[in-house]
Amino acid sequence: MIENVGKNSSNPLLHSSKLFFSVRQSCPKNRVSRTKTHNCRSFSSSEASLRSDRLCASIAPSPSFQFPSPASANMVLEATMVCMDNSEWMRNGDYVPTRFQAQADAINLICGAKTQSNPENTVGVLTMAGKGPRVLITPTNDLGKILQALHGLEVGGEMSMISGVQVAQLALKHRQNKHQRQRIVLFAGSPVLSEKKTLESMGKKLKKNNVALDIVSFGEDDGEKVEKLEALLNAVNSNDNSHIVHIPGGDRVLSDVLISSSIFTGDGEGGSGFAAAAAASAAAAAVGGGGGAYDFGVDPNLDPELALALRVSMEEERARQEAAMKRSAEDSTAKGQQAGESSSVPDVAMSDAAPVKITDKSSDMMIDDDTALLEQALAMSMAEAAQAAAAAGGGAAVTDTSMAESGGDDQDLAYALQMSMQEAAAAATAAQGSADVNQVLGDQSFVSSVLSSLPGVDPNDPSVRDVLASLQAEEEEKNEDQAGKDKSK
Amino acid sequence: MATTATPAATTATAVQLPLGQADLADCIEWQSVECLNENGNHTFVNALKQGYREDNGLHLESDADEQLLLFIPFNQVVKLHSLIIRGPPEEGPRTLKLFANRPNMGFSNVTDYPANDTVVASLENLEGKPIPLKYVKFQNVRSLTVFVEDNQGGGEITQLQKLAIIGST
Repeated sequence: MIENVGKNSSNPLLHSSKLFFSVRQSCPKNRVSRTKTHNCRSFSSSEASLRSDRLCASIAPSPSFQFPSPASANMVLEATMVCMDNSEWMRNGDYVPTRFQAQADAINLICGAKTQSNPENTVGVLTMAGKGPRVLITPTNDLGKILQALHGLEVGGEMSMISGVQVAQLALKHRQNKHQRQRIVLFAGSPVLSEKKTLESMGKKLKKNNVALDIVSFGEDDGEKVEKLEALLNAVNSNDNSHIVHIPGGDRVLSDVLISSSIFTGDGEGGSGFAAAAAASAAAAAVGGGGGAYDFGVDPNLDPELALALRVSMEEERARQEAAMKRSAEDSTAKGQQAGESSSVPDVAMSDAAPVKITDKSSDMMIDDDTALLEQALAMSMAEAAQAAAAAGGGAAVTDTSMAESGGDDQDLAYALQMSMQEAAAAATAAQGSADVNQVLGDQSFVSSVLSSLPGVDPNDPSVRDVLASLQAEEEEKNEDQAGKDKSK
Repeated sequence: MATTATPAATTATAVQLPLGQADLADCIEWQSVECLNENGNHTFVNALKQGYREDNGLHLESDADEQLLLFIPFNQVVKLHSLIIRGPPEEGPRTLKLFANRPNMGFSNVTDYPANDTVVASLENLEGKPIPLKYVKFQNVRSLTVFVEDNQGGGEITQLQKLAIIGST
């Protein structure tokens, strides 16, 4: 299936996104949510654009890429109700960005972790403040629905913990799959108004009905809160199935602290596996998506199909590129020279393009523009090489270095230039054909405008100016030669 | 119905069962047995499983309060005849409510429907004297739910050393 898609498309970007689509549709178990889709789209275009030897080397059978083994996942079948605090106290910004937003992020993480550790786990969410507890979504294993339910929530009112937990208990009681264990995750951000005794009896009731309780204590702290919540935990706890986490405010991100806490690791190996993966991918995203812990910024554990699809499409593209380069190197006559340029140009163009968030359309346009411009630039450098051997050697070297300097990460640009330089050396006579192009290039202003439009090249760069100056000198030289020839006729 | 008095001993003693009736421990579907409000260290296994239940040192104990809700599914349809229980005189159960064919009960809905039978255990019963059940009500039993409402002493903890179900298939 993957091969078929690869043959059909010519555009590498389109190819990889098509490939991605077909992989997604073919996997019935793949519960990829909407946000994941969006991320993957940008990844697929970025992986095509980041065509560099470095990246290719990193994907060649990497031992770090491995599918998650089923033995490592913790298979406790559980139904979880998350009680969210959306009271007025959540407007505070002492957690980044606001308490409420930090809570929402943490809830996303928890939902992901639960459904990850066992696909039959269900998670539901309810809010506690406002007019009363409101169930946003009953326990479901569809992550997309959960994320959608968290969207567009409002902050206001006062929280009533007791009724919130009672409603959660009721929601769990009416779960579809009675074999699931019952768990409530309580986010306690506002001050606890209930009495300690009431909380303890509520805890006892939960224990009696075999419901576990995880408490995330953050936000307001009026001294008694910690004590009350600890008492609640002791009342509920039976055989260490319940946990409490205190997260003081400050610069720490709520979800990060939560990941390393027992609420995740208490799930067992599966929970901590997801947590480790989430932490690593968060770090990778911070580095700049793609260069981090994983090959494509996509954790193979989180989404093995996607990682595999990206890797396969990358290798296919690389093979195609190499085949194209070989072909162009073989027939490097007058026409082959241009073909060689254009085949290396897409390579160069894509590496020049911004690595993040290019749509197919814009990069197509970019390729067209850059094709024309780079053809001229390369022809320019090749003209130098053809004119005089020594000068060509010096000029090519200068061009090489200038290009290399102006685009720090455009090593492949230099590589492409080198390749075209070699072709030019092999076909010296063919270079004459680009005389008229040279005339156009002789115009200093045009050349500098061309160079400035190249993303990696800074026209004010002194080395680029040197190149232009040398070009200018050679143009004059050539003109003198031609004038001399004309005269001699 | 011939029954022999069982001496209160720690070792197993054979109770002569009425003709045609048998101990239904073999028919219990152990995977799905659930006991709400049980203490983690003293689970239903101690009261139901052969071997464990004969040992008076092992017992099923309640946790948060004195009530217990024990759900016992069978792997075939059975008819119930009587129960044999054993427990300490103070903490042993007193009022037992039995529900047939009602899976997924919770403490909140024990009052929702009437019990198929309600048994008050006497001290003799706690020694092992069989408790006869209303036979006609338990003709077609797929699962049995035992709700222990309170205990003899009225304390916070209920203990049950043995629970044997006598009936026929």
